[in-house]
Amino acid sequence: MTKNAIGALFFLAFSSFYFFNVFSIKKMPGSQFEVMTASTFPYYIGIFGIVVSLLILILSFVKKDKDFLSMDYVKSLDFKTTIYFVLAMLFYGFTIRTLGFIISTIIFLFIGFILLKERNIKRILLISCSVSIGFYLLLNNVLGVYIDPGMLYEYFIGDQS
Amino acid sequence: MMEGIFAGVITAFTMYNILMVAVGCFAGTFIGMLPGLGPISAIALMIPITYGMEPSSGLILIAGVYYGAIFGGSTSSILINAPGVAGTVASSFDGYPMAKNGQAGKALAIAAYSSFTGGTIAAVFLLFAAPALANVSLSFQSSDYFALMVLGLTAVAAFAGKGKFLKAAIMTIFGLMLATVGTDSDSGIPRFTFGRLDLIDGISFLLLAMAAFALSEAMMNILENKKQSKQELDALKKDIGSLKITRAEVKEMAPTVGRSSVLGFFVGVLPGAGATIASFLAYGMERSIANAKDKLNFGKGSIKGLAAPESANNAACSGSFVPLLTLGIPGSGTTAIILGALISYGIQPGPTMYVDNPALFWSVIISMYIGNVVLLVLNLPLIPYIARLLTIPKQLLLPLIIFFSLIGVYLVTFNNFDIYMMTMFAVVALFLRIIDFPMAPMILGFILGGMMEDNLRRALTISDGSFAFLWERPITLTILIITVILLLMPVISEFIANRKKGQEA
Repeated sequence: MTKNAIGALFFLAFSSFYFFNVFSIKKMPGSQFEVMTASTFPYYIGIFGIVVSLLILILSFVKKDKDFLSMDYVKSLDFKTTIYFVLAMLFYGFTIRTLGFIISTIIFLFIGFILLKERNIKRILLISCSVSIGFYLLLNNVLGVYIDPGMLYEYFIGDQS
Repeated sequence: MMEGIFAGVITAFTMYNILMVAVGCFAGTFIGMLPGLGPISAIALMIPITYGMEPSSGLILIAGVYYGAIFGGSTSSILINAPGVAGTVASSFDGYPMAKNGQAGKALAIAAYSSFTGGTIAAVFLLFAAPALANVSLSFQSSDYFALMVLGLTAVAAFAGKGKFLKAAIMTIFGLMLATVGTDSDSGIPRFTFGRLDLIDGISFLLLAMAAFALSEAMMNILENKKQSKQELDALKKDIGSLKITRAEVKEMAPTVGRSSVLGFFVGVLPGAGATIASFLAYGMERSIANAKDKLNFGKGSIKGLAAPESANNAACSGSFVPLLTLGIPGSGTTAIILGALISYGIQPGPTMYVDNPALFWSVIISMYIGNVVLLVLNLPLIPYIARLLTIPKQLLLPLIIFFSLIGVYLVTFNNFDIYMMTMFAVVALFLRIIDFPMAPMILGFILGGMMEDNLRRALTISDGSFAFLWERPITLTILIITVILLLMPVISEFIANRKKGQEA
């Protein structure tokens, strides 16, 4: 399948989903007298989205588009590490409030370096800890941005605010 | 006007703001050097830092980052033939052969001097063009603004390149769709929030920009698992040689720089065109007007071939500020990000900014000039050392870029839902990058979406619900005619190309 056809199918699905949801936007009483409601603009964009993605799809067949997504290229991609990284990012989002900024950042960076095959543990620990603590101190003491130390910290140390 | 300029000079020349320009140029140069991370990513990464600053200082820092990133992109183009951004691709045509011939220092110096001159000439043009256009745009009404935004979005698609018109168009529409998520500004009705309170304020532009550019680029690096070749590492560690250029070389490149700067500025002013088109046009123009002997040199280390795209891309950067500062309409992905930053500072760019915030308006223009001086005086001598930073292994650099992207967005709202949403957008952006769909039109559509809807609503209300406003006002009609011409341009050019082919056959 060509890259354009894949993209067109993705946007056709997304635009259709978007257009379908336009009809669930609530209307204010008396909105029928208004020149433009909350759903007017999305309604037209949804139509444009469907029309343009259909155009891309049709043209990719009519013009005999040759820009295929090469299987050799797809096979050369490192999906495993990328998926692990995505999971690490989600884990970071999940732990930043519970474990607190410093611990969760150290863990995230540690996992990141390991996933990318950095094997020097001393270097990994040094960078993870120094970036995490250094950035925390910079934010709290220099830039005046307060970061929540995390629920775990509050549970053991208590809320000091 | 003079009062505004003086206020701008005073604001720009405070120690703090000069420091911000320097920091911006330095950070921009470093980030811009990293393959794939261009000005948009560099600016997006720096925006969270500017939230605690005065708007003028924040914008000055961002302008410095913009220039620095373009210069950084040129550096990696010249040294390792790996342009950080599309705008510096043309610089590698002759810059890299020069570096291979042992003249890396000279190539970098030519790039820096050409960028400086291009930026300076464009800053002077900007000094006159911006107020003139701001005065004209004071008479603009909602219908004209709506038409201008349609023109801006169409132009981005039209200039996206051969065969990419529809791809850019659908990405723009995608951006417009994402802009409608959240509470409708007029009626207060939630749209596409699916009952989630986290979406009630809509999607943050910083989140989207960071996910679509910095984060997805870093993830693309992980996905493609590209290692820096030994050749690249050697090139970065190698002595770059003398930075001096001779009087004869200055004489040779002076007319090129002058022509390319003027061309670059005007291309930059056009919505959708920007640094990439400016640099390629300037390179093409110089090659076509060069004499037979010089022409042979192009692509093999020609001084003119390097000076032309370098001055043009820098001049285009300044040029792209004209529609942003005077009309409040960004003409490129980068200026769209800057517009987003301005809005988050509580400033609405446009003719009113010129009237209400003259100090800010002029300080940005003046700081662009300071930025050019900083690039020349500070960055050029430091380039050998900054380039060494590129030898930091990717396995250390990439997790840090991802961390700064995530935390930059988290620090604005302290909502971990933003991290989840960012990860999701980054995955979508990664998929779209694999199938070659451009990201810049999406961010432009996203930024302009809300403003477009507001102006359409106002125009429709004034005309009592009738779409006649599209052809009743001469300014609106003229802008829309230009839009239609731009829309038809790909069809016309294909028709002409087919006809030529037919005649040849």
